[in-house]
Amino acid sequence: MKTTTSVLIAAFLSTASLTPQTFGSEGPSFARDIRPILASRCFPCHGPDEQHREGDLRLDERAAALDAGAIIPGKPDDSELIRRIFSTNPDERMPPPDAKEQLSERQKSLLRDWVLNGGDYEPHWAFIKPVRREPPTSKFDNRARNAIDRFVFARLAAEHLAPSPEADRYALVRRVYLDLIGLPPTPEEADAFVADSDPRAYENLVDRLLDSPQYGERWARVWLDLARYSDTNGYEKDRPRSIWPYRDWVIRALNTDMPYDQFTIEQLAGDMLPDATLDQRIATGFHRNTMLNEEGGIDPLEYRFYAMVDRVATTGTVWLGLTVNCAQCHTHKYDPIQHSEYYGLMALLNNADEPDLPIPDPTVVQQREQLLAQIDKLENDLVAAFPPLPSSEDKAATGPDSKPAATEAERREQNFNQSFARWLDQQRQAAVDWKVQWPTNLESNLPRLEVLDDGSIFSTGDITKRDVLTLTFDIAVDQLPITALRLEALPDDRLPAGGPGRAYYEGRKGDFFLSEVTAKLGDTPLQFASGSQSFGKISIGSGDARTANVFDGDGSTGWSTSGHEGEANQIVLNLKAPITAAGSLTIELLFERHFAASLGRFRISATSDDGTPAATTLPVDLEAALTSEGDLEAATREQLQRQYLRIAPELAAARRPIDALRNRMPDLPHTQIMHERPADNLRPTFRHHRGEYLSSRERVEPGIPAVFDDGSPPPTNRLEFARWLVSDHNPLAARVAVNRAWQAFFGNGLVATSDDFGTQANPPTHPELLDWLATEFVTDGWSQKRLHRLIVTSATYRQQSNVTPDLLERDPNNELLARGPRFRAPAETVRDIMLKASGLLSPKMFGPSVYPPQPASVTGLAYGSTKWNASTGEDRYRRSLYTFSKRTASFAAYTVFDAPTGESCVARRNRSNTPLQALTLLNDEMFLEMARALAADAVTQSGEPNVGSPDAAAIATNIFRRLLTRPPTDAELTAIIDYQKAQLDRLNGGQLKASEILAGKATKNSALEQRADQASWVMVTRVLMNLDETITHP
Amino acid sequence: MTDDSTLRDQTRRHFFQNCGVGIGRIALASLLAQQFGTARRASADDAASPIAPKPTHFPATAKRVIYLFMAGAPSQLDLFDNKPMLTKLEGKPLPPSVIKGQRYAFIQPDAAVLGPRFKFAKHGESGAEMSEPLKQLATVADEIAIARSVHTDLFNHSPAQLFFNTGSGIPGRPSMGSWLSYGIGSEADDLPSFVVLKSGGSLSGGASMWSSGFLPSTHQGVPFRSEGDPILHVSNPAGFDSQAQRDSLDLIRSLNEQRLDVIGDPEITTRINAYEMAYRMQTRAPELMDFSQETQATLNIYGAKPGDGKAAFANNCLLARRLAERGVRFIQVYHAGWDHHSNVEGGIRGQCAQTDRPCAALIKDLKQRGLLKDTLIVWGGEFGRTPMVESSAALGRSMGRDHHPQAFTMWFAGGGIKPGVTVGATDDLGFHVAERPIHVHDVQATILHCLGIDHEQLTFRTSGLDFRLTGVEEHAPVQEILA
Repeated sequence: MKTTTSVLIAAFLSTASLTPQTFGSEGPSFARDIRPILASRCFPCHGPDEQHREGDLRLDERAAALDAGAIIPGKPDDSELIRRIFSTNPDERMPPPDAKEQLSERQKSLLRDWVLNGGDYEPHWAFIKPVRREPPTSKFDNRARNAIDRFVFARLAAEHLAPSPEADRYALVRRVYLDLIGLPPTPEEADAFVADSDPRAYENLVDRLLDSPQYGERWARVWLDLARYSDTNGYEKDRPRSIWPYRDWVIRALNTDMPYDQFTIEQLAGDMLPDATLDQRIATGFHRNTMLNEEGGIDPLEYRFYAMVDRVATTGTVWLGLTVNCAQCHTHKYDPIQHSEYYGLMALLNNADEPDLPIPDPTVVQQREQLLAQIDKLENDLVAAFPPLPSSEDKAATGPDSKPAATEAERREQNFNQSFARWLDQQRQAAVDWKVQWPTNLESNLPRLEVLDDGSIFSTGDITKRDVLTLTFDIAVDQLPITALRLEALPDDRLPAGGPGRAYYEGRKGDFFLSEVTAKLGDTPLQFASGSQSFGKISIGSGDARTANVFDGDGSTGWSTSGHEGEANQIVLNLKAPITAAGSLTIELLFERHFAASLGRFRISATSDDGTPAATTLPVDLEAALTSEGDLEAATREQLQRQYLRIAPELAAARRPIDALRNRMPDLPHTQIMHERPADNLRPTFRHHRGEYLSSRERVEPGIPAVFDDGSPPPTNRLEFARWLVSDHNPLAARVAVNRAWQAFFGNGLVATSDDFGTQANPPTHPELLDWLATEFVTDGWSQKRLHRLIVTSATYRQQSNVTPDLLERDPNNELLARGPRFRAPAETVRDIMLKASGLLSPKMFGPSVYPPQPASVTGLAYGSTKWNASTGEDRYRRSLYTFSKRTASFAAYTVFDAPTGESCVARRNRSNTPLQALTLLNDEMFLEMARALAADAVTQSGEPNVGSPDAAAIATNIFRRLLTRPPTDAELTAIIDYQKAQLDRLNGGQLKASEILAGKATKNSALEQRADQASWVMVTRVLMNLDETITHP
Repeated sequence: MTDDSTLRDQTRRHFFQNCGVGIGRIALASLLAQQFGTARRASADDAASPIAPKPTHFPATAKRVIYLFMAGAPSQLDLFDNKPMLTKLEGKPLPPSVIKGQRYAFIQPDAAVLGPRFKFAKHGESGAEMSEPLKQLATVADEIAIARSVHTDLFNHSPAQLFFNTGSGIPGRPSMGSWLSYGIGSEADDLPSFVVLKSGGSLSGGASMWSSGFLPSTHQGVPFRSEGDPILHVSNPAGFDSQAQRDSLDLIRSLNEQRLDVIGDPEITTRINAYEMAYRMQTRAPELMDFSQETQATLNIYGAKPGDGKAAFANNCLLARRLAERGVRFIQVYHAGWDHHSNVEGGIRGQCAQTDRPCAALIKDLKQRGLLKDTLIVWGGEFGRTPMVESSAALGRSMGRDHHPQAFTMWFAGGGIKPGVTVGATDDLGFHVAERPIHVHDVQATILHCLGIDHEQLTFRTSGLDFRLTGVEEHAPVQEILA
């Protein structure tokens, strides 16, 4: 028995509960008193982790401890465990003298008492299904409004404490506004409630707020912390991504009160639901919020693995309240999660592809259709823009017999027909008779290849920086000879940016890089003499994209069609010597670059043409039509004519308006989703030794940890897992969810560690209340709105939050809830409070994220010195939820107030209180802009100000109430007006420049200089925006 | 209640449990009471700053760190680690037995060897070997300790930079400066405890490298901006002079105090103090940034030219010294520009032209001012560069070197460092460490050690784990470079 120093030691760990508990004749409670000691002091070496188990002894299972003689029930002095912990012999003593975690005398005696009383174990409370108990009674029941209060008050009574009085109405209305919709009430809204004599005034207010669209915006932010939502990819380049439709889905789901079980299933596995709707597929963005490393040269599968690690951890935090992540590297030290079970959970989530989903937004679809119709019409009209032949009048002058001069229209038509005929003839000459080759065998290093109906090959599954695709064809005698091969790179809507390539990071989306093409007939290598292409360009780097690059034996050169994503292109490779014998043709395609860039859809054809077949820019069906005997069909001719109109040099100028229209074509919005892979291409999951990507070991099947095995059929895929998470079989999901809701309203959860309900966590402060709420939540149809209503209508929530010195000493963190919650608002709410108070707040909901103003230096510091072009118009004043979230340079005014940066799941934000917050609120131009708007509004509303007159008090009160809701006290009002007068004197005296304060910069605007009064109120507003109370839930 | 208060409780417990030796417990308790503020109904004056100095685990040899982070990864083979064998083998591929399946960012494993691009010479009494572009560093060769056997786990910039700064390749963990701020606080009460300076190109690791991660955000690194306010929003808004600011702060304080009297929440006290510190920062920042107090001679040794972007690194080194003088705990000076995938020779020359003189000047200047003895200076990149050449037609690269995590060089100087030693060695090809492997976590443990911190004891509990900067494996300070 020896502790290894490499074990993470709980240096700061406290297992002390709030108040020392006394225990009766039954001895210490295992769950409350004993397990925390065993877990922290003993389990690291004598727990579930076999790898680190010492002396073959485990103490986490009673049978094992009894077998080993470590515990002999009722006989502590004969029990090895007790003997060892009290031993004075350093060789025997446990924990060993060099262990960092030692036992206190009190802990030793607890263990002794426990063994004396029988040494019984009980399962960890969180792994037992919640039990609904009748709410207890207490002497405060007359003040209870619902069951919550009966649990809380009974505990207060037991602790000889009493609930606080109900908060005053101003505090109450402000609190419930901020909590339910994340915005403060206007003074009018507050007054309406204060003056409402209806006994149900508060409940009515709550119902109105729950029905407000702003409810979904407020609570979406809480969920997005868990979802680690961001508008960029993270890591070095941190490029933008489009996943805001997922954010909007969350807002809508919350506003419609989608039941939490459904809310869960759609986000984890919406794509797998029968006939999945567009919305259900958008919902799967939840686990697409992982970061994407786009740095050149990375191993993409390594970072996919890290994204999976993040998904497992996030799922564990959100639905299990367990630190599943601890088992990535080894079996969990404290909780019953084996190392391989961790990978079983990963396997449940690990079988999806991760495409972009274009969203057929009706507005955009309509715009596109209109533009396409316009383009079609303009293209049709191009014939009329063709230059006419020179006028025959000149010729007419030379001979009297000539026919009447042709009209310009006739000459135009003539010229067009002649030119088109010439072009068509050239095309016909050059047209090659290609035969599509259908592969008989497809192999690859990793991607899954399938043959589509048109003979093209489609690639799915994972790709790497060096993909090798090997295609086999049977060459029959009737095809001989073969003089050239053609490779078409084809677009497909399922590919990034429509293909043809599969590049999804670092390079352009939809790009590819074909390094080498090698071919052999049987075992005989074939040589290419030359090649041609319809188009070629590479992205990143200065290299060229010549066709010859693919047979020069150098993997660092190649062919690519960058910039032409969503279009078909081709190369033709001419054989040095034709294939003249039937046999098996093997073509190997090598894609080798510093990012993964193999083709997503392509097709191989062959020809017997004995000229020098070359690539064409003509669509292949038109080329094929030109090779067939006989007259062209009218439709084909029409298409060819259209093709000619698109390229004829004579029409270059006339086509400009069409090109302009094409450039205006809006893309469909898209979002990142999960898409389950087919059964024939399941992605295998392996256990990774020490959690390292490169150390994969045995394959692991999908499954949940044994601790959750209750005899019911276990989930085997993502959808079943999602359903299991919100089923009766998971004892944790409802508890964890109601605890997070509690935390949002009270500042702390009933379980303080809202991300950890495991054996190391402090037990709930009110276990029966937690279980009651969890069962109520499920019984009530998993309705989050009804849960929130229940909490905010409780007397517990409605208490005033004043802190007495006694209470502060006794319960500094308000765990017993003898007073109402009081805590600083979340970062986004800080800004939203100011926005609403200033009157600038835009009610616009949904859509792409926006850019409120911040100093250029914030993103200037990020990789590539990203520009931050501040939004203008109402987008500048949207709710903070809609602010563009860039992971490596997140919005400075939020970060400083502890907003997360979207790098990992956050169940509980820090709440710091720092000088940098002060500098932000005092000096950030964004807040000054709001202060100016607020002051202007208040001055207008309260009439022309005259210092010292009642108007000054009215203005001051107006500003104060917009920001703080309640009316100011006389003393506060006096202090504010004294300040305003003093500043006005300095303004009038020329010591301060009103124009600068009002314009936010030096200005020559003399009209502004006359507004000293206004400037003084801006100064007042700025002060009031900086009060502790302004940014605090009262 | 803030998380800071929980942290104070935790920290207090920690010091009661672990730091009793040598100090009377009662005395320590009263010391901590002063720092953390035991009076719950706190008046405005005794709520302590969360970055107030805290006791160390053992006596520190350095009070502060200036970390010269050479982002992009300088080529050790062309600066410190002389490998004549590479010249002999130039143009030939390395045997697969040497490469052992290492993944590369850009090159293929069969790329040919590239010999050192510069002449090397031994310098000073210590005989430290450096290449010709390091002319100025050579003049202080006897002041520094060179470690030639550093290795890392990661071979891409962003993760490898994060790994050096936060102990993890995935963004989101607290950075070293944040750990120090959290662990031992700061000696400055008018400047942040952890300051970040930057020059050269873009930083791959980005803001995550000065993130406080799961530590309270008080400990976040504060980047000094090269445009606008050096510290974000440290200047008053347009039109507000210092008296207007002071008047405003007085009213804020008065109104907050009135509310404190009614509500009694100590959080209000903390906010009152935060505003006072904000004001002190506002007062201090202009003086800090004012280089006119420096003599021309001082500017010259650094090559500093205030306002000249070409001298940005030199200016930052001088600013680092000024921050060190003012008690800032961790000064991170990033210089990006060492990622020489092509033309490593020209690249090294260019970067040395910008950085060699200021680095040497920092050592000399600190020494002359008596600050070197308790300032730890660290120099290094996120990994090394390959003995093999990088060339790529598609990317237009030639005569460069790719990323090499197996072995590279760092140097250390100042507080707690044994000057004039060279530790560790690589094999003849400069590919693998041959003697005294030094892992990134060992480097981190060494830095913490110099500041009086046992790297295994500096932990923070989150998500069910007690995290530390140096990960879960066994790591230790590099005793060979410690004085």
